[in-house]
Amino acid sequence: MDRNRILGEKEDLLAYSNDATHRRIMPVAVVIPRDPGEIASVLRYANENRIPVVPRGAGTGLAGGATPVPGCIVLDLKRMNKIIEIDQKNLTATAECGVVTQQFQLAVEKMGLFYPPDPQSMSVCTLGGNVATRAGGPRGVKYGTTKDYILGVQAVLPDGSIINYGGKFVKMSAGYDLTRILAGSEGTLGVITRVTLRLITLPPCRRTMVAIFPELDNAAEAVSAIIAEGANPSCLEMLSQQSVNTIENYLPMGLPRDVEAFLLIEVDGHPAKVEEDCHLIAQICRGHGVREVRTAQNAEEAEKIWLARRALFPASAHLAPNVLIEDATVPRTMVPAMVRAIARIAESHQVTIGVSGHMGDGNLHPGILADIRDPELMRRVEKAMADIAREALRLSGTLSGEHGIGYLKAPFLKWEFGDHGVDLMRRIKKAFDPNGIMNPGKIWLEGGEDNL
Amino acid sequence: MRTIYNIEDYSCEINRCLQCNFCLATCPIYREDMVESSVARGRINLINATMVEKTLPLSDRARDLINRCLLCSSCMQGCPSGIPVDDIIIAARHELIKKYGLGMAEKYIFRRVLKTRSVGPLANKVVSMLRRLKLFPGQIPELANPSFNQRVSGTLTPAGDKRGRVAYFIGCGTNYLFPDTGDAVIKVLLENGVEVIVPKNQHCCGIPALAHGDLESALYAIRENTEIFASLDVDAVITDCTSCGYMIKVKAARALPPDDPCLGKALSVAGKTFEATEYIARLGLIKTPHSQPIKTTYHVPCHRAWSRDLPGAPRTLASLIPDLQLLEMREPQRCCGAGGAFFLGQPDLSQSIRQRKIDDILDTGAGVVMTQCPACRYYLQQGLRNQPEMRVVHPVSLLAAGYLSKNL
Repeated sequence: MDRNRILGEKEDLLAYSNDATHRRIMPVAVVIPRDPGEIASVLRYANENRIPVVPRGAGTGLAGGATPVPGCIVLDLKRMNKIIEIDQKNLTATAECGVVTQQFQLAVEKMGLFYPPDPQSMSVCTLGGNVATRAGGPRGVKYGTTKDYILGVQAVLPDGSIINYGGKFVKMSAGYDLTRILAGSEGTLGVITRVTLRLITLPPCRRTMVAIFPELDNAAEAVSAIIAEGANPSCLEMLSQQSVNTIENYLPMGLPRDVEAFLLIEVDGHPAKVEEDCHLIAQICRGHGVREVRTAQNAEEAEKIWLARRALFPASAHLAPNVLIEDATVPRTMVPAMVRAIARIAESHQVTIGVSGHMGDGNLHPGILADIRDPELMRRVEKAMADIAREALRLSGTLSGEHGIGYLKAPFLKWEFGDHGVDLMRRIKKAFDPNGIMNPGKIWLEGGEDNL
Repeated sequence: MRTIYNIEDYSCEINRCLQCNFCLATCPIYREDMVESSVARGRINLINATMVEKTLPLSDRARDLINRCLLCSSCMQGCPSGIPVDDIIIAARHELIKKYGLGMAEKYIFRRVLKTRSVGPLANKVVSMLRRLKLFPGQIPELANPSFNQRVSGTLTPAGDKRGRVAYFIGCGTNYLFPDTGDAVIKVLLENGVEVIVPKNQHCCGIPALAHGDLESALYAIRENTEIFASLDVDAVITDCTSCGYMIKVKAARALPPDDPCLGKALSVAGKTFEATEYIARLGLIKTPHSQPIKTTYHVPCHRAWSRDLPGAPRTLASLIPDLQLLEMREPQRCCGAGGAFFLGQPDLSQSIRQRKIDDILDTGAGVVMTQCPACRYYLQQGLRNQPEMRVVHPVSLLAAGYLSKNL
């Protein structure tokens, strides 16, 4: 391999010592492969010598899936960034793992096609990373997340073998669904090198609405009704009162500070249907105690509404040195209970938590203000995180909607799946990775698979 | 001397970084290197480790990486935490100079030539030195002789009613390389009823020195220029260079210590500083220029964030010139690779960045490239050497040609 694609100097390794979480561990080397063959040689070598390997896309993960482990080789996959084919007739595309999600979206949209998964980091994150974490975004409520678009995958296993599974067909009932097993495996089973993705046609029309509810329960009921009555919004985002205040303090744009739920709704599709849906949504909101509901009259007005949502991330970032973005997800009817529980948790641990989230699919993003240099605060933050996880599970939810488990939530996995569930996952890992070299310590706590 | 650009003072800003890596999307250097140590996040983490927390030694590789930044500030424009990446890099380079001193060539340029603004023998010496040290990739530029400041100074009054009174800051690019820009700015201002004062004894704005971490030279330039411009009774201070504007508008006051007697004046000058096209577009034209039947495209300089209308103004002005066609290139805001004098130190890297830009320019089919930054202009011109029909100009030159009723 070209020496320039193997980094061993500390100054370079430092840049790979963390992802968007804050644990820092220096890898021993970074290898930047260009094809599956190179990955296979690295994995074979690592497997023979029991060296851990951590695959990495853009390192934007919020659960720590790409955080290095001691003594590991990091595989930086961003140079495998070719879109191999966009098949307009079969509505599929095949791309290498390092293709940037937004670049991919722009490429298919140029052809009138649509790839909906839209994680917040889409300007930099990679398709491989998205598949490895089953990433999603606001459009999940209508279009699902990455897992709903993977038709096929190529992956390199720890012994250097290269597997291909699935393809450009819509249906498949042959054997175990290896695509779905690799999706969300967070680099613990092998290295995803190529994906075949399902595309849909680009919706011709898109409208944005806001709905302002003085009371959270009313908003939640309205959201359930909107979906139950088939209005099918493409985004249904909520800003809590605290989030609205955070945004207003940072960038005053006249949002109401005295309401419990500020909803941003987007509807897309055929113009006539969009018109009808907007009408229906407004009607339902009015029947559920909305203070104000309106539809943006033009693109400029819509942009202004979304600016508020986008400002939340920078606004929160200005409040504290670090912000831990949680990802607990509950059935949508449980959103008010979860929002209240989060407020209680914040109070009991004396931490500040702003809640926003994809209300339509129950995926909440509590943002916990933190400072990694303050160990006492960090202990409280960790306790709050654990309580949020417990509460989400108690409300029939899941630990993660779209970020993955990484190392941050690994201690909680048993709470969701029980010992039997986690043991089964460990046995699956053992089948793929008998020596446990692939991203050890992620998803569940390290060492588990050796005790089988 | 108490100074602002002290790297340890940036510890708090560095620690505010969310580590989101969104800077990967925009960094022109990352796009070429494709390693995460070559992007803002990696760089500021490295600065933190080597200079603040001192957990890593300040090695040659660390110095390379710290110097491997264009200071284009693209990363800052999409940064959710608003980390002042450019200030952190400047402070780190200042730290390097404190430790290792300034290179010979830089010392000579910042402390002799740009400081005293003497052309003629001294400038020619610099050029020959650059040639001897093989520091200049490509053609050595022809220096204006006489330079613009030797040729133009004093108060220039418009023929008809006076609509405004401005002071004109002469950047080094205009002074030494492209005096035609200075002539064009003055022509267009006078044609539109604006009185122009061109003060004598102006200095370099100081941004080249600041970018290299030579705070001493930068502060000298800031103080001298501030005194000159603060003493004038004018509505505005006009610069045709986006980097000089960035310096005067944003960086000057930031580089001065908080108790500096010059600070108040620097802030008042900053408050009325405008980029030339922006000022003219806002003022509006009272005279329609003659037709310019050409196709042009616009490269937006990196130092644009200091003024909201800066990227829009040349486009507005272009639309006011009859028969002129503006053809937008792909990613007009992407860096051309010059980075001030960055291309001298990193010729290969800069050339690969430039090649993408050249391809985008040629794909538009335009014959004239507009840009407000003289470094971009010079560097793009060099890149377009093999296209003799292609020209790179300041947008104001198109208007000036329209007023002279001649084709550009």
